[in-house]
Amino acid sequence: MIGATTRTITLAFLMLLAMHGLAQQRPAYRAPRLPGTQIPDLNGIWQVMNSANWDLEPHAAAPAPFPALLGAIGAEPAGQGVVEGGKIPYQPWAAAKKKENFEKRFTRPTTHELNDTTGDPEAKCYLPGVPRATYLGLPFQIIETGRQILLSYEFASATRMVFMDRKPTPPADSWMGWSIGSWDGDTLVVDVTAQNDKTWFDRAGNFHSDALHVVERYTPLSPYHLMYEATIDDPKVFTRPWKISMPLYRRIEPDIQSLEFKCVEFSEEFIYGHLVDKPNK
Amino acid sequence: MRHRFPARMSAVAAVAALALLAQMPAAGQQATRGSQKTAAPASTGFTVPRTAWGDPDLEGVYTFATLTPFQRPAAQAGKDLLTEEEQKALEEQLKKKQEENIVTNEHFSYNALWFASDQGRPTGRTSILIDPEDGRLPPLTERGQKLRAEMQAHAATKRIGKDQLVDTWEDISLYNRCLARPMPRVTQEYNQGAQILQTPGYVTIFYESMHDARVIPVDGRPHLDSSIRLWNGDSRGHWEGDTLVVDWTNFSDKQKSDGSAPFGGFPQGNLHVTERFRKVSANTLDYLVTVEDPTIWTRPFTFGLPWRGDDPTYRGPDDLFEYACHEGNYRMMENSITATKAVRAAKAGKK
Repeated sequence: MIGATTRTITLAFLMLLAMHGLAQQRPAYRAPRLPGTQIPDLNGIWQVMNSANWDLEPHAAAPAPFPALLGAIGAEPAGQGVVEGGKIPYQPWAAAKKKENFEKRFTRPTTHELNDTTGDPEAKCYLPGVPRATYLGLPFQIIETGRQILLSYEFASATRMVFMDRKPTPPADSWMGWSIGSWDGDTLVVDVTAQNDKTWFDRAGNFHSDALHVVERYTPLSPYHLMYEATIDDPKVFTRPWKISMPLYRRIEPDIQSLEFKCVEFSEEFIYGHLVDKPNK
Repeated sequence: MRHRFPARMSAVAAVAALALLAQMPAAGQQATRGSQKTAAPASTGFTVPRTAWGDPDLEGVYTFATLTPFQRPAAQAGKDLLTEEEQKALEEQLKKKQEENIVTNEHFSYNALWFASDQGRPTGRTSILIDPEDGRLPPLTERGQKLRAEMQAHAATKRIGKDQLVDTWEDISLYNRCLARPMPRVTQEYNQGAQILQTPGYVTIFYESMHDARVIPVDGRPHLDSSIRLWNGDSRGHWEGDTLVVDWTNFSDKQKSDGSAPFGGFPQGNLHVTERFRKVSANTLDYLVTVEDPTIWTRPFTFGLPWRGDDPTYRGPDDLFEYACHEGNYRMMENSITATKAVRAAKAGKK
């Protein structure tokens, strides 16, 4: 009798727990399907509305990098942060490196080697890597067929293929990494490996090594919202995996389309200017 | 290295090319005006598949690489198509040349590798240019001639003997600066892969080179405001039967095909391009393009070539690898600018 009661109570408790979990993880919203399939349709142009690209961690507003030149334009907006628990769990050496990154973020490279490792790669218009491409601030388009997803970002015309119907192995490390996708209910899960160690997470100097492993989750919350979560693991740099999350907003203007932000030409004087005695323009 | 290693030599190319030849439209049937309705005659026994929402299905991974020259060489004046024997002989000759390029180059040079391994196959024609009928670009307008003279005069100031001078990054071609690839894409040296993806209301062309995604609305919306100028222009598509017709405008004047490229380095601001994509067999997309710029060319011209879906270089989407380009350019700029300073100093010393 007691055993049966215990079982009943346990069962009821588990059911409650499951319902609670369901309420938390599975929003009532069901995404539309790709025509002729049961595959959730995430097609659209999406954009964040936050200051994560300035700093993933909570931060107050701050002056522009060159206030004497730009005044209040380009100043850093405040943000409550997107890291679960607030802080990125750096190993001690890495916390020091992050600080140094920030201090040297506008250092003009003077050698090939320095160019690879010094300064914010965004200033050099280098491919932004994952997850930074998502929240760098410009829109990106999800182009989803049944077999594959192409993510096309305005920033630097960066692109990523997400393989859905097979799992090819990465031939080499790259700036945008190698993305393998799957579905967990209506949630798109993307496993990203093989990223090089040259990209950053934000303008605050948050960084990673080539051991970076990112698992992204895109969960439809409504026709106009996706919840974006990324779990970030890198045993060379952090003491444990950590997670960021933020909503993505659908761009719903009539005839909205992705435009170009081909920023190479905006970066050349910054990168190469010191090589030229006097620009002959 | 800025680009990936293309580990591929095509042993089956010659055999496949013959099959391809059979699918190419004959010259007489190929319409050559911008107003034409179709790119190629219907090939027997092939029905274009449809997407779940009823559009013609052009999806696939293709390459537009070809060894056929853009303009017809003088030696082949008056000759439009190659015979099967000529095609076969040309294939063998080119294949031999490619192998020699690699085998005889003891340093296994960068250029020999790149240029030898990703060059596709001849199309069966003597030129990619189909109209004008002589396979040559039409005469330039007065403005076109003036622009060309200016470009040549400027190029002369950037040369001392055999040395090409790079005083600043701006003396490097747009393509080598990784700013943009000339559009429309034709006759590149390498990384000539592309993938077509379709979603309701859109056809997307993803080009491996310069990791450019062209998202083409096919929902009848108007072009962007003419003040918005883009390196890759603004594309609007519609279906004419099985053919995707793309109207392509709003190019930036900054976009200039390199001097060596087919259209000769002119600013593209007034360019109006009409593309026609049509699947003519399970593995072949017929690509026909009419180019107009009445401020530069005295008449429109049309070129055509197959996008091949059966090339061993591009078997699937994972063969389109990341084309990081700008990210590896620092040393090139440093070397070019430093070397130019030395050349200029040496010349000044001789005076």
